Amino acid sequence: MVVFALFIISKAGGLIYNREFHTGLTKLTSNDYLMLAGSFHGMHAITKQLCPVPPVPANPASTAPSLAPSPFASRPSGLEVLESTHFRMQCFQTLTGVKFLLFTEPQQPNIDAMMRRIYELYSDFVMKNPFYTVEMPIRCEKFDRGLDGFVKVRS
Amino acid sequence: MVVYSFYIFDRHTECIYTRRWTPRPGSSSGKSMRPQSGSSITSNGENVPTTRKALSKEDDAKLIFGLVFSLRNMVQKLGGEDDSFLSYRTGEYKLHYYETPTRIKFVMLTDTKQNNLRVALHQIWVNLYVEYVVKNPLSPVEHPGGIGVANELFERGLDSFVTTVFPS
Repeated sequence: MVVFALFIISKAGGLIYNREFHTGLTKLTSNDYLMLAGSFHGMHAITKQLCPVPPVPANPASTAPSLAPSPFASRPSGLEVLESTHFRMQCFQTLTGVKFLLFTEPQQPNIDAMMRRIYELYSDFVMKNPFYTVEMPIRCEKFDRGLDGFVKVRS
Repeated sequence: MVVYSFYIFDRHTECIYTRRWTPRPGSSSGKSMRPQSGSSITSNGENVPTTRKALSKEDDAKLIFGLVFSLRNMVQKLGGEDDSFLSYRTGEYKLHYYETPTRIKFVMLTDTKQNNLRVALHQIWVNLYVEYVVKNPLSPVEHPGGIGVANELFERGLDSFVTTVFPS
């Protein structure tokens, strides 16, 4: 079981966290990582647009106009898993638009559970950190340590 | 198993063949659906189809090309030169990609339950494209605007290939 790297992309498309756990991916400059994150943000939006599935007919609940429309219902999800011959990338987008990209080996099982755990760590140690400014690069020692412990135990 | 569409792009980034098996949300059927659901246009579920409606067939092909091109570059940057992009999946569909050594790109959109179709796309290249398009003495070497690709044998072969490989 190998986890190569974790990227976190803010809702504006900026790379706010970038961590390599295991060598395997090509080392890039931090500028390249920023560019990659920005272009991935755009590609993710395009994958949403390309949805070839006919839209589901308006659900019966929409006949009740008093109900506040949920902004998250029936919205097509963008790219979730990308596979290549050398790695597999899982993308998890939170409801607030933050994207977690996890690069693993192609045959890695249980990525969903890992992703949830990472999201938990993020909520606990980044979002609850009073010194953290939203949308800024993440520099939280406890988050780093939590990730380290979690990924090391796994591999 | 559902196959939504199939595209071939040549090495000049041009879309030389498009095939669709299901109507797109942006097509005429989608438009005729809108008045029926007129009462709920303001509800949120309608937002997304409205923005998608503007895309024509050609726009779609361009969008797909740009997307797979960038994803391929991203994969090669991260995984090294010998790494190749295979597929991606969203909640609604899965896109499979195969590139020949001559830079012809085959793209297929299917439902999410499909396994990797690299082999199937390779088969389409070897058994259909090479046989019926490349070996056709009447078709040009390059296919600007898709000339010579959509001939009868190729189309029929593709249809029977899809119906046998993905029985619905």
